[in-house]
Amino acid sequence: MKRPSLSMAGLRDAVRSMPDDSLTAIREAALANLDEHGLPTVRDEDWKYTDLSPAIDISNRWFAAGATSTSTDSLAASIEALTSSIDANWLVIANGIIDTSHYEETAGVDIGRFSDNAAPFVLDRPLADLNAALLHDGLRIRIHAATDKPIGILVVDETCEAAVVTQVSIEIEIAPGCDAQIIEYHSSTGNNDHYSNSVVALQISKAATANYVRIQNRRIGHVQTGRISITMDTDSKLAMASFDLGGGLIRNDVDIDLSHPGADANFNGLYLAGDGQHIDNHTRVDHRVGPATSSQEYRGILNGRSRCVWNGKAIVHAGADGSDAKQANHNLLLSDKAEIDAKPELEIYADEVKCSHGTTIGQLDDAALFYLRSRGLDRQQATHILTRAFAADLVSRTPIPQALETITALVDARLAELIQDGMS
Amino acid sequence: MTSQNIESFVNQRYQHGFVTDIATESLPPGLDEGVVRAISARKDEPEFMLEWRLQAYRQWLDMKEPKWPHLHYKPVKFDEISYYAAPKSDADRPKSLDEVDPKLLETYEKLGIPLHERAKLAGVAVDAVFDSVSVATTFKEKLFEVGVIFCSFSEAVREHPELIRKYLGSVVPRRDNFYAALNSAVFSDGSFVYIPKGVRCPMELSTYFRINAANTGQFERTLIIADEGSHVSYLEGCTAPMRDENQLHAAVVELIALKDAEIKYSTVQNWYPGDENGVGGIFNFVTKRGDCRGDNSKISWTQVETGSAITWKYPSCLLRGDNSVGAFYSVAVVNNMQQADTGTKMIHIGKNTRSTIVSKGISAGRAQNTYRGLVKVMPQAHGARNHTQCDSLLIGKQCGAHTFPYMEIKNSSAKIEHEATTSKISADQLFYCRQRGLSEEDAVNMIVNGFCREVFKELPMEFAVEAQALLNVSLEGAIG
Amino acid sequence: MLEINNLKCRIGDTEILRGLSLTVNAGEVHAIMGPNGSGKSTLALVIAGHEDYVVTGGDVTYNGKNLLDLDPEERAREGIFLGFQYPVEIPGVSNASLLKAAVNAKRKHQGLGEVDAFEFLKLAREKMAALNMDPKFLNRGVNEGFSGGEKKRNEILQMAMLEPSLAILDETDSGLDIDALKVVAKGINALRAPDRAIVLVTHYQRLLDYVEPDFVHVLSEGRIVRSGDKTLALELEDKGYDWVREAASA
Repeated sequence: MKRPSLSMAGLRDAVRSMPDDSLTAIREAALANLDEHGLPTVRDEDWKYTDLSPAIDISNRWFAAGATSTSTDSLAASIEALTSSIDANWLVIANGIIDTSHYEETAGVDIGRFSDNAAPFVLDRPLADLNAALLHDGLRIRIHAATDKPIGILVVDETCEAAVVTQVSIEIEIAPGCDAQIIEYHSSTGNNDHYSNSVVALQISKAATANYVRIQNRRIGHVQTGRISITMDTDSKLAMASFDLGGGLIRNDVDIDLSHPGADANFNGLYLAGDGQHIDNHTRVDHRVGPATSSQEYRGILNGRSRCVWNGKAIVHAGADGSDAKQANHNLLLSDKAEIDAKPELEIYADEVKCSHGTTIGQLDDAALFYLRSRGLDRQQATHILTRAFAADLVSRTPIPQALETITALVDARLAELIQDGMS
Repeated sequence: MTSQNIESFVNQRYQHGFVTDIATESLPPGLDEGVVRAISARKDEPEFMLEWRLQAYRQWLDMKEPKWPHLHYKPVKFDEISYYAAPKSDADRPKSLDEVDPKLLETYEKLGIPLHERAKLAGVAVDAVFDSVSVATTFKEKLFEVGVIFCSFSEAVREHPELIRKYLGSVVPRRDNFYAALNSAVFSDGSFVYIPKGVRCPMELSTYFRINAANTGQFERTLIIADEGSHVSYLEGCTAPMRDENQLHAAVVELIALKDAEIKYSTVQNWYPGDENGVGGIFNFVTKRGDCRGDNSKISWTQVETGSAITWKYPSCLLRGDNSVGAFYSVAVVNNMQQADTGTKMIHIGKNTRSTIVSKGISAGRAQNTYRGLVKVMPQAHGARNHTQCDSLLIGKQCGAHTFPYMEIKNSSAKIEHEATTSKISADQLFYCRQRGLSEEDAVNMIVNGFCREVFKELPMEFAVEAQALLNVSLEGAIG
Repeated sequence: MLEINNLKCRIGDTEILRGLSLTVNAGEVHAIMGPNGSGKSTLALVIAGHEDYVVTGGDVTYNGKNLLDLDPEERAREGIFLGFQYPVEIPGVSNASLLKAAVNAKRKHQGLGEVDAFEFLKLAREKMAALNMDPKFLNRGVNEGFSGGEKKRNEILQMAMLEPSLAILDETDSGLDIDALKVVAKGINALRAPDRAIVLVTHYQRLLDYVEPDFVHVLSEGRIVRSGDKTLALELEDKGYDWVREAASA
């Protein structure tokens, strides 16, 4: 099977059809980078298990159809429903366009746009280049005091007549000593193909804390690639929980840079995949100085014809004594067609370190299943209860209480669906 | 106990670094079809063997050296290597040990490998490979009585061409990888073992490889076939002189276990590792693979890797037969400037296949140690089980320990567990042992041996003792 | 046997022992008591030669030799045994191999031949039987996955095997239930002999009900502030350590 390659002519036309504004120079620079490097392929070690062909194919079709953006009018109902599901102060990016009309001005938070001050940002990854090349505008958030409500960022997309591509770029800075709560929520609707590509840069200043929740509940079949790059200053803390419930082809990258002592990064993820879903989580932590700790736990439940990838990488650089890095990944396989690729990597160049990883891949415990069935539950109910318990441990670690109820409900509903599909 | 003390502890001299002064005949450096033909002619090989080599050579020309390993070294100049070296007396091969050049016998005595009849006491049959050729195989007759064939590869090509034709390249195809292709073209000798149906090999079989000549590569090939219901334990040891240049060793080992058969393959690899500045040492690029072809068959690899400047090897198991079992037990020690990228591949194909991986990596000095492993469960491999334990011990601040495990699971009934830890010898452990009267050096040796215990207990007794001693020598000077 | 004169030491920048003097003669059992942080464990570790502790003053003589000149292993071979408060785990190294190496290191030092595996096992089994220990214990990794009580019992077994002339037992009674305490006390009492001395470092009087000390010393802020016979321990139990502190500062 021949893999499509990104149409550079199409991309160039798309970029040049965008309005000439303060981001034009950055778009051109990104275009030149892409021209030189292209997009990653399965021959790249980091993309060994995830083929970007669907994203490329959607992009090429979108270019061919004129690379137009879609109106956001019909999204109003969805936005209303989603923003009221979690009590947060919402910034919305609908079909790639920033919409601050749902947001209530709050003391302690500054909201801006990239176009206000078009400082060039780091473009060293092919998908970040694609993002910059096609970006209408980016969102810049600076949190310098704690807020009553979490700051929500709702990314919602809709496709109707034709395939659509949208870009999202967000820079978040948490000021020294500040305690922030941020929710990033991705959702999509529509019958046609969609590809969303997001780039988030999170900077956690000295002694600051980021509580971060990421929910991805796109329409099954839609494509999303997203990278969050996190830099942590001295004595800062990160508590992050990430939930992948929907989507067709999903690739998440989490990069954490620990260049200052005393940082503590804790991040977890849950992925639920059924028929036709491919969910890839790549994480990378660079321990450049010690002492610092990082710990991550990802769990997956796979049913139907699905494939998930988890690749955790912890690098302890020379001299980073006092680094403590933990990785855990646990997977439940419920169907004969499900496939998991797990790769926990440690690269260690210092000796005063504590590093460990543990991975398990298995099934529901037969004895537990039998026990529940002997109490009168059918197999489907029993499976639901046991998978829910497997997921609940991670759900309960959601660092933002306001989001817990909705996440529990979403996970529960998705699990019920997955199990039903798998059983029928 | 300070970490400086720990670091200063690891460095005794390489003990096998002597050179035997013996007349050698070798081909001029460089590789072309003529060289391949010359090697084949030198060995009196049948036409099929020459054809096989030539095809491998042509395939090799199209291939590239792998770049993915976590290894850094100056490129190997393949046109400066001599692809064949043999003790001169090879022209009229010795018929018995009495005819073997006494200097060779002396070499093996120095290495502690008895080739004489008194070896009987040790209960081990030995095939000795010196540079490119097999010089002596002991106990052939005794083994022949029970139908076991244990001889040099060259002899097997002449005497048992039907077995060679059937099995050679059936586990590691010629173009499997760059080094396997090179080996297939120019391999000079090695060991061949065939255990007939239902036979339990009455003694341990062993091959000792010795590189002696300068500027030569060693390319041996080992083929072991365990027919239905048979059992064999095979040991392999390797040493080389200390030389300033890097020498290439690119071997291929193929194991085939038919229904209900079991092969235990143990290696103590002690090629010259180079000096403390990384000058000299063997580049060890080896392809080892076992095929559990029959139901209920078992293959286990146990390796203690202390030598070589560069190690690139992944002894693997293809678990084809239903209920077949694969195991990999490894201790890899790197000190000074050594680099190792080693591990295993367990490919689950049959039903209810099981595999175990225990890897213990020890890094000292400025060395880099990488575990790279693949556990793959194919869609039809119902009921597969794997347990992997992968531990690293760091001695000193300038070394590195890395783990790159890949798990690719395509069957939902698989149960896979993988654990990895990284640690150092703690000051508390050292003080505790010293308070009980042990010297610092003995304490470190004891702790390191304890770290490796799970692997050492898989080695045959006589090898386990050697392995422990070797480990202590390899880490000499690493503490302090 | 052991003569400590005005010993001062620090770890990092913290001074812990501030002029401690103590004489221990052969045949005696001394108990060293004191509140947390008074320097009890430090004293034990300094005598054993732990290199984190820097001796800044005073001297320590052991059987006429300057103890501070010796490496930890030399002190051990000369007959000093420290029963650790927190015995460390050494995975994969069996109890048997550590013990055999330790016994032989000492014998070699004494100019005696090494014991072979047979003699060693015989001896070890005898000692273990006396301590109600399962012989399988020998094949387990040193303290690996042991309960608190098992670790302490293992220390007593090592002491019994090494037959030290000076045994220092650091909080060997902590974390033991009453049955285990009795077994440990039995092991200690079995070692009492005219040519040996035992120093018990303990926080509570409890152990002293079973191992009767000849002398009791109270340590506070790095100095011995009070010495007496076994009744001092009872008095401490009754009045608490505040009483000693007040007495010391008065």
